[in-house]
Amino acid sequence: MVDIEIEIDGNVVHGHSGESIISIADREGIDIPRFCYHKKLSVAANCRMCLVDVEGNPKPQPACSTPASAGMRVHTNNEKAKASQKAVMEFLLINHPLDCPICDQGGECELQDVAMEYGSDVSKFNEGKRIVADKGIGALIQTDMTRCIHCTRCVRFGAEVAGIVEMGATGRGEELKIEPFLSEGIQSELSGNMIDVCPVGALTSKPFRYEVRSWQMSSVQSVARHDLVGSNVFTQTHKGKVKRVVARDNESVNETWISDRDRFSYEGLANENRALTPKIKVKGEWQEVSWETALEAAISGIKKNSAEAFGALASKNATLEELYLLQKLTRELGSENLDTRLDVANPSSASALETTISLTGLEAVDHALIINSYLRLEQPMINHRIRKATLQGAKVSTVNAKAFDFNYRVASSVLSAPQNTVVTLSGVLKVLLESNSQALPDYLKGTKVNQAQIDIANALSAAENGVVVLGEQVSSNPCADQVAKLVEQIAKASNAKTLNASATGNTLSAEKVSFKPNGGLNAKQMFDADLNAFVLLDVYPAFDCVDSAAAIENLSRDDAFVVALNSFEDASVLSFADVILPLASFYETSGTHINIENVAQSYSASVKAAGDSKPGWKVLKVLADLLELPGFDYTDSSQVADDALSLSPSLAATEVDIIAMEVPNIATVWQYTPYASDVLTRHSQSLQQTQIGQVSEATVSEATAKILELSQGDCYKGVPVNINETVAEGCVFVHTNQARQR
Amino acid sequence: MISEQAKQQIDTWVAKYPAGYQSSAVMEALKIVQAENDGSLTSELIQAVADYLEMPVISAHEVATFYENYNHKPVGKHVIRFCHNISCMLNGADDLISYLETKTGVKTGEVSEDGLVSVKKVECLGACVGAPMFQIGDQYYENLTPQKIDEILDGLQ
Amino acid sequence: MNEVCFKNIDKENPSSLATYEATGGYSVWRKILHGELSPEAILGELKTSGLRGRGGAGFPTGLKWSFMPRNQDGQKYVVCNSDEGEPGTCKDRDILRFNPHSVIEGMAIAGYVMGATVGYNYIRGEFMEPYYRFEEALKEAYDAGLLGGDIGDSEVNFDLHTHLGAGAYICGEETALLESLEGKKGQPRFKPPFPANVGLYGMPTTINNTESFASVPDILARGGQWFADLGVPNSGGCKLFSVTGHVTKPANFEIPMGTPFSELLKMAGGLREGRTLKAVIPGGSSTPVLPADDAMKMTMDYDSIEQVGSMLGAGSVIVMDDTTCMVAALTRLAHFYYDESCGQCTPCREGTGWMYRVLKRIMDGQGKIQDLDLLMSVQDKIMGNTICALGDAAAMPVESFIRHFRHEFEYYIKHGKSMVENDG
Ligand SMILES: Cc1cc2nc3c(=O)[nH]c(=O)nc-3n(C[C@H](O)[C@H](O)[C@H](O)COP(=O)(O)O)c2cc1C
Ligand code: SF4
Ligand code: SF4
Ligand code: FES
Ligand code: FES
Repeated sequence: MVDIEIEIDGNVVHGHSGESIISIADREGIDIPRFCYHKKLSVAANCRMCLVDVEGNPKPQPACSTPASAGMRVHTNNEKAKASQKAVMEFLLINHPLDCPICDQGGECELQDVAMEYGSDVSKFNEGKRIVADKGIGALIQTDMTRCIHCTRCVRFGAEVAGIVEMGATGRGEELKIEPFLSEGIQSELSGNMIDVCPVGALTSKPFRYEVRSWQMSSVQSVARHDLVGSNVFTQTHKGKVKRVVARDNESVNETWISDRDRFSYEGLANENRALTPKIKVKGEWQEVSWETALEAAISGIKKNSAEAFGALASKNATLEELYLLQKLTRELGSENLDTRLDVANPSSASALETTISLTGLEAVDHALIINSYLRLEQPMINHRIRKATLQGAKVSTVNAKAFDFNYRVASSVLSAPQNTVVTLSGVLKVLLESNSQALPDYLKGTKVNQAQIDIANALSAAENGVVVLGEQVSSNPCADQVAKLVEQIAKASNAKTLNASATGNTLSAEKVSFKPNGGLNAKQMFDADLNAFVLLDVYPAFDCVDSAAAIENLSRDDAFVVALNSFEDASVLSFADVILPLASFYETSGTHINIENVAQSYSASVKAAGDSKPGWKVLKVLADLLELPGFDYTDSSQVADDALSLSPSLAATEVDIIAMEVPNIATVWQYTPYASDVLTRHSQSLQQTQIGQVSEATVSEATAKILELSQGDCYKGVPVNINETVAEGCVFVHTNQARQR
Repeated sequence: MISEQAKQQIDTWVAKYPAGYQSSAVMEALKIVQAENDGSLTSELIQAVADYLEMPVISAHEVATFYENYNHKPVGKHVIRFCHNISCMLNGADDLISYLETKTGVKTGEVSEDGLVSVKKVECLGACVGAPMFQIGDQYYENLTPQKIDEILDGLQ
Repeated sequence: MNEVCFKNIDKENPSSLATYEATGGYSVWRKILHGELSPEAILGELKTSGLRGRGGAGFPTGLKWSFMPRNQDGQKYVVCNSDEGEPGTCKDRDILRFNPHSVIEGMAIAGYVMGATVGYNYIRGEFMEPYYRFEEALKEAYDAGLLGGDIGDSEVNFDLHTHLGAGAYICGEETALLESLEGKKGQPRFKPPFPANVGLYGMPTTINNTESFASVPDILARGGQWFADLGVPNSGGCKLFSVTGHVTKPANFEIPMGTPFSELLKMAGGLREGRTLKAVIPGGSSTPVLPADDAMKMTMDYDSIEQVGSMLGAGSVIVMDDTTCMVAALTRLAHFYYDESCGQCTPCREGTGWMYRVLKRIMDGQGKIQDLDLLMSVQDKIMGNTICALGDAAAMPVESFIRHFRHEFEYYIKHGKSMVENDG
């Protein structure tokens, strides 16, 4: 790639022709001031801060938009360049408030930084500063547009990265204003990145407002564990509390972006519903007790029951260490009753669909088939990579129960109720196999094929770099295994890669430590079998279990002893549990997340656990010790992680048969808003107040509504009904922030 | 929100641009819609135009606020757009604007009580050899004098 | 006088196809359709003619056309800039009204030379009469089989459309114009890339001024040398000059390049009775003002005007006699640039308002003597630091007015009123 030589400030440096001067300078560590340039956004060249002197040019040239050419001689800080930079600085400051001490960006403001370099020249401007009225833009971002320097980074971010054109630059001249059309609030699930790209204090974090000054905080490297990417973040802490979360660059994981969920979920840490003290239930009454007492109560309850009657259920968002220790404890006790798949209609022992593509690989696909997924909200950063591919011309087709709002054009979409997805995919597979002149397995022989299936198959086989993505909504599907199997076959027949996003969070850690039954009972079976002792690791059945009412009922049996390691208190858990062991939440414990690429990312605790709560790995270790189980003499979570990572999963997987299954006439697809997807986000107030977070509707078609005798505005499983034709016949699509109801 | 007739007019503009570039017609579309709504735009109308041309509404809003020919407040039935730039100024535009203001009782930027006229000072209209001049609707009126202004005002209804 | 763009101006029905054809109109285009003129030959004639862009920058048209990747596959465009908005300029309006076919033929020829099959004429939104005239002419040309696909079985294609502006001076800047044509705000693009590589809808595009296009058919009909000889070296041909301000017969004049300013002033009827010349802005509001003495020395061509310290620009001659208050005149111009800045780049967005406010304050009697140095320093900080030339255009009047007429500004600041008893 290195093919030209230029000179910057007397240093000979290398670049490729056409590359901008600023990008070469950045790589070489030569500092050129800039405001509008951002390496991930298109060039705007509007701030004029990066003006440099290029020999042979009478006028100074912007380093961000001037392509380097061989032999070019650039001066970034000779008199001419400095004069231009200083001029621009002066213009920027004439209308900018000079009250950095009260600005939330103070101390981390690019304008302030550059201004300092140019000395505190008293401006000769005294014509009165411009004041700009603010339009609110929602619960997450605080605007202070008088501070805006019109660099349009936020506008370009919206158009180019978020893919939802919301912010614009309206008016002209001095009246130029950065604003959205309406102040209903920004819709993007990536909106918080605008805070990071804004060089000044015009866009700041709303929940963070007035909390502390930036320089008072310390930054700790961490990893977000809400989704399959494990975006890299810095947690910024003050006096033992997480005050803000910002993106940490990691090109192969999250580039420089993070989702709003990753950015704002920390707010839940300070929520009043945190579980802060150990408790035991005595004669139906909760008593706050010491850790010793609570642990004592826990082990005596567990010991009272046989190993076969013991089961462990864990959250998909738990750390690798927690999952490892809990499965080890369970297995050492002699039980194989383990599961994290609480929301899966039909958890089985089939092996999970493999992911065969990398995150950066997604950017290079030319076709993506997305099945059972509102990928944009489920896996924002994965979706972002696919969006990047679409910007290079990739086509996207979908097989979904509902027509979702993607931030790219969907070339073709098939609406398919969950119970029909097997049929839909079978058709696609049949076309593919026939066009490959491959033999048809028996189950495809009678399959009828329609145009939509042919179109999808053709698009896939035409693609050189296809990918098939399977999303979260498949978990509602009783035929999930068949769907996964068909996805695998379709990918094979079309030479496409696969991406399994059917379970989120730290699911791959659960896979890694085989946190599922090897001959024992799965989540559903555990309830059916009326076990007598349960350990719940950050599980909230009202939200997490596919049949929440049944789960709660079962756990509430008199002969069910339940130890709940919870980071939050929850009414239903309080009703059925016998012991509450308060659990350190995200960022309060060290841990490890395994992402979609099977990369294990470990992090240390950013802050001390709230109240008397303790990191899960420590609690589980002590529990195991007290139960006198061998092999738990860990002193550090990294030892746990080492053991966990050295495991190779060795579960016997069952073969999946694709046979006609008995399917319901009408199925429900239940999807949480991304801000109700785990317990921490559910307790982040700001996320709940966003447009995305407030959705709660059960969408159903006119015809299906008739069969179910539903009318507009009725409630379906507690969720208001909305009748329209965006949804497949034969299903109700529930998108909600509410706990599950029957 | 947009009449059928207006849609047809918009479509003739859309036809001038390559397929997929229908938003090239947004400037005319906004003018057409403005014309059939008493000469000014509202958020709802901008939204309707954006929807009709399948473009982000903020982009249509950017256009509507960038160009001077769009109004976001009610205007008179006739908008008198008086050039006050250099050639017109050298030929007495300022005095004539004052004359017009006194005559109509309407200050620049305002609408007459009966809603018949509003007066706006604008930049050079490209008819400087006819200075001083103003524009009403499609029509330019050049080499203005107080007498000429009287006649023109008398003709407005 | 009036030999090219204005040659039919005194005829009856000057804008009609019949009038145009009667004086040789479309003869060049028909030759092309008959395969009798090659693009290379046309480029050669244009270069010989010395035609320079009439939109203000004066770039040689033949050279500009040769930059287009004519043999590259894919759509290419020809765009005519009829957004005439530079204060003092009103020539393109008359070309559109009185000789629209010359623009159509010029654009068609350009399309042929550069391999562009689609053209747009961007007419400023206020020019409704010129727009209707141009549309009529366009219809005549289509009806006569002069435009369209595979014109007269020639395998030559050229479609031409009009686009209307909506009130923004900046759209006269060629890349802002392209943005506007795409249905966006008229914010200039940074260059490179240049429109010849990445233009309208991302495709190679050439933009010329109305007068530039209108001059092409006659140049090719009568020869590049003929045109060149009309003018003087480095300023070929004749050109339209809009003479406005304090003259008794303001009008557009098509005169040979190199004509002395004094003659042009006479054509425009000279100054009003009893007045003396104070200053001239020779090329439109964006060009530096000249004091009377300098102005009287110039001849109307690129080099001469540059020698006396200004620019030919769009040929918009604004004449100011001794009744003119230079403070008021500059304040008005400063307001114009402040009003018309697109606002995207920092120096222009912030600087134009700053300069206007200081001048306004002086006009209101609140000026301080340091304000003049301040204005000079602000204009200097804008100059050369912006995306498009509007920044420079805003700076140059401030610089030249204060440099040449500083005493008037000082007087105004000291006395809180103009030095000139304005009775005009
Ligand atoms: C602020 C600004 C306004 C301009 N306005 C016009 C205009 O109204 N008409 C025009 O032809 N060129 C205008 N130009 C010049 C154009 O950018 C461009 O140079 C010209 O249209 C090229 O055509 P030509 O080579 O035939 O002159 C303007 C330039 C600037 C910077
Ligand atoms: S709000 Fe911030 S990012 Fe957006 S334009 Fe203003 S300064 Fe730039
Ligand atoms: S110089 Fe002025 S008009 Fe030109 S791009 Fe910059 S802000 Fe816009
Ligand atoms: S960083 Fe180059 S102009 Fe803004
Ligand atoms: S200055 Fe008034 S029309 Fe040009």
